[in-house]
Amino acid sequence: MQYDIVIIGSGPAGYVTAIRAGQLGLKTAIIEKDKIGGMCLNWGCIPSKSILESAKVFQKVKNDAASFGVTGFDKKNIGFDWKQSIKRTDGIVRKLGAGINFLFKKNGVELISGTAKIMSENSVLVDNRLLETKNILIATGSRQEKINAKLPEGLVVEIADLFRDREIPENIVVLGQNTVAVELAQFFNLIEKKVTLLVPGSNIMPLADSYVREYMKNLLTKSGVKIIYDVDDNLSGFQYKDGALVSKDMNIPCDFLLNSKMRKGTLPESDINLTIEDGFIKTDDDFTTNFPSVYAIGDVNGKSFYAHIASAEGLHVVNHIKGITEKIDLKKFPLNMYTVPEVAQIGETEDELKASGADYKVSEYSMFANGKAMIEGENTGFVRILSDTKYGEVLGVQIVASNATDMIAEAGAFMQVESTIYDIAKTVHAHPTISEVFMEAGIEGSK
Amino acid sequence: MRYIFNFPDIGEGLDEGTIVEWYVSKGQQINSGDSLVKMETDKVVADIPSPKSGVIAAIYGKVGETIHVGNALVEIEIEGVSGAAAIEEAAPKEAVKEEGAGVVGTLEIAGNNAFLPASEEGTKENQSTTEKTTKKVLATPVARAVAKDLGVNINMVTGSGPAGRVMKEDVHAYLQKNGTSSPGRTVQQTVAEDRVELKPLTQLRKTIAKNMLQSKHNAAHMTVFDEVEVSELVRIREKYKEIFLKKEVKLSYLPFVLKATALALKKFKALNAQMDMENNQMIYKNYYNIGIAVDTEDGLIVPVIKDVDKLSILQIAQKINEISEKARKREVSMEDMKDGTFTITSFGSIGGQFAVPVINYPQAAILGIGRILKKPVVKGDAVVPGTIMPLSLSVDHRIVDGGETARFINQIMEYLSDPVSLIMD
Repeated sequence: MQYDIVIIGSGPAGYVTAIRAGQLGLKTAIIEKDKIGGMCLNWGCIPSKSILESAKVFQKVKNDAASFGVTGFDKKNIGFDWKQSIKRTDGIVRKLGAGINFLFKKNGVELISGTAKIMSENSVLVDNRLLETKNILIATGSRQEKINAKLPEGLVVEIADLFRDREIPENIVVLGQNTVAVELAQFFNLIEKKVTLLVPGSNIMPLADSYVREYMKNLLTKSGVKIIYDVDDNLSGFQYKDGALVSKDMNIPCDFLLNSKMRKGTLPESDINLTIEDGFIKTDDDFTTNFPSVYAIGDVNGKSFYAHIASAEGLHVVNHIKGITEKIDLKKFPLNMYTVPEVAQIGETEDELKASGADYKVSEYSMFANGKAMIEGENTGFVRILSDTKYGEVLGVQIVASNATDMIAEAGAFMQVESTIYDIAKTVHAHPTISEVFMEAGIEGSK
Repeated sequence: MRYIFNFPDIGEGLDEGTIVEWYVSKGQQINSGDSLVKMETDKVVADIPSPKSGVIAAIYGKVGETIHVGNALVEIEIEGVSGAAAIEEAAPKEAVKEEGAGVVGTLEIAGNNAFLPASEEGTKENQSTTEKTTKKVLATPVARAVAKDLGVNINMVTGSGPAGRVMKEDVHAYLQKNGTSSPGRTVQQTVAEDRVELKPLTQLRKTIAKNMLQSKHNAAHMTVFDEVEVSELVRIREKYKEIFLKKEVKLSYLPFVLKATALALKKFKALNAQMDMENNQMIYKNYYNIGIAVDTEDGLIVPVIKDVDKLSILQIAQKINEISEKARKREVSMEDMKDGTFTITSFGSIGGQFAVPVINYPQAAILGIGRILKKPVVKGDAVVPGTIMPLSLSVDHRIVDGGETARFINQIMEYLSDPVSLIMD
């Protein structure tokens, strides 16, 4: 028996691909060595956003509820229960995992538990079973590199290990520069821990537009997160002494060091020589490796670390196997950051446009005077549209708003159909809504 | 609010026009659609309608002055414009691009069809066909803007987007593959300048080229030749030439051919029809508007004589005289060239006996009249001198079969060989 496709890894890259392949009638097997849903569902996107939501509710109740007219509680008694927030998170994760399992069954996808080994470009070994297949899809994801430093046992917490019943001490240090690092730093800040963010390099959120980044830096600093730049990502120059990371000129209290360093591809065991570049499997624009029948999608190919991009890559591969070739434009996928307020961005950043010498125009509109935002008590932020001067094409959009990660979908639709800023201005938005600001920015840009 | 109306692009490639006559003056109340000004461009004289209702606040340009496309023609004070309308005003370019039926769009369409008329305004069947021919290709707003800007016909571009949607990149790819559409540039690069003369295409030449190609691409041309003995017609024409001259009307053979054709069309409906492929139907027209191909210095134009079947020979002759005069003065309007159902080209007045005329698409047929000449003809068993009019009839074989074509040309020949029969039916 031969499979059309054997998928290694059931994260958002693997499972979305498996379900689509099954729907299109391909004989599909998916191999998972741990939990269905991978990093995103079990230890990443879903749990981290879930605990962030708990923290936001905590803050809202503690600091805002009274002003909304809610009475009957003593502010001093309001606390945050980590255990309960994890319990709630587990419930969500379980439900979603069961959902994926159901879709596998419904669409004829065979789920195999075990660790895969690629034997040849057309065969995979799992659990002493040799699967013959026309195509292999590697979707094994990525994980943080370990912090290579002499630190006491138990001090370093890997993100995959975070979401469990544990004591959360007072002094939290997060090491990393990416969005996840910022999100987690903010989470601990929201539950009123003392947080230091150690940033390897000179910037947080390297993918964000610098305008957005500056905005977020200010916001973080104002909320009490201490940011230290240009820290070595193995903490060289630091020693751990008396509950603190100590260097020549710094003493950072640290009871808990969260590792959110750069990620590296999780490479599957393989008897074929896949080309590896900087710790990731090298692929072409159709995500084919140096073997035409072997594809690599998601984090493991190093092109992006976003779940929705991994899924989109998977759908592209299914089309490719089916002989449908279309270009995939990674610029037209939203980049979401679940900070408070949320940040979302799509398309070109202003830095990229400047570098390419493009003629562009920036149209910005603030959340400040938006009725719905005021009602919700969340009127910080803005919508920023970058459009081409000649035709008005929408080249990029950045949103900072409490619900920016949802609002960005509209910008995605406009960019998918290559719309102009005039189209945004002409699209009637209901009142009162926060998304009105998007239209206002469009009108601003059409002037 | 104040609305500035710029001289719209009334045809591809055209960039200026001359003011012939102002219909409005400052302070005048006008309604949307009212004619503002008569503009002359190349060969066409067009009335420019107002896109808005309001009061004329300012007028730019005097009679005889040249106005460039995009420059202001008039300012209109519009009352009670709400916020939403103001937004629309903020993006006038886009509104025009998207609608295709807006002021500029309408003119564009009229401009394209002006020379070889195809529309039959006011008839129900036609509305659907006009819509079909201007049907929007699926394309992104930016792709449309880029195509318009670079002069690419977006209908020719293959789309790579979802459901074949034309994306910006497809327009660029098309342009790269097909080069800029002007062959003049290629010549310029390869031939020494003194050996060729480079002249930009006039709007009229572009339209002729486009319509001729459209016809050759879409219609299945079939041509039949015949000769008709017209001694009697010559005699009658000689006699009435003098009589008509007293009424200051020049009488050629053309009015007789027009009348004969109109009457024959009444009997053979397919020759006066049009095929509507989109709706799987034939459109038979119960009116007989015959276009006559007129040779001008700038190129071919086809003014239309309407309801020929209802006109006398004198009336037809008068209309032909009028239209020739207009053509000479470059005053033929779009109205004069609209709604033809059949076309006659009398190249014989210049020379040539037979030709394969190109159908004025989407009409079903075109009749060519060659040079009338003396020839020996057989009458009974004797060879006698005769006067021959050569006929060349091209039909769209999709619409008309061979038998019908032969019967139709026979009918015309019967009328022309015995002109009295023109008033006997």
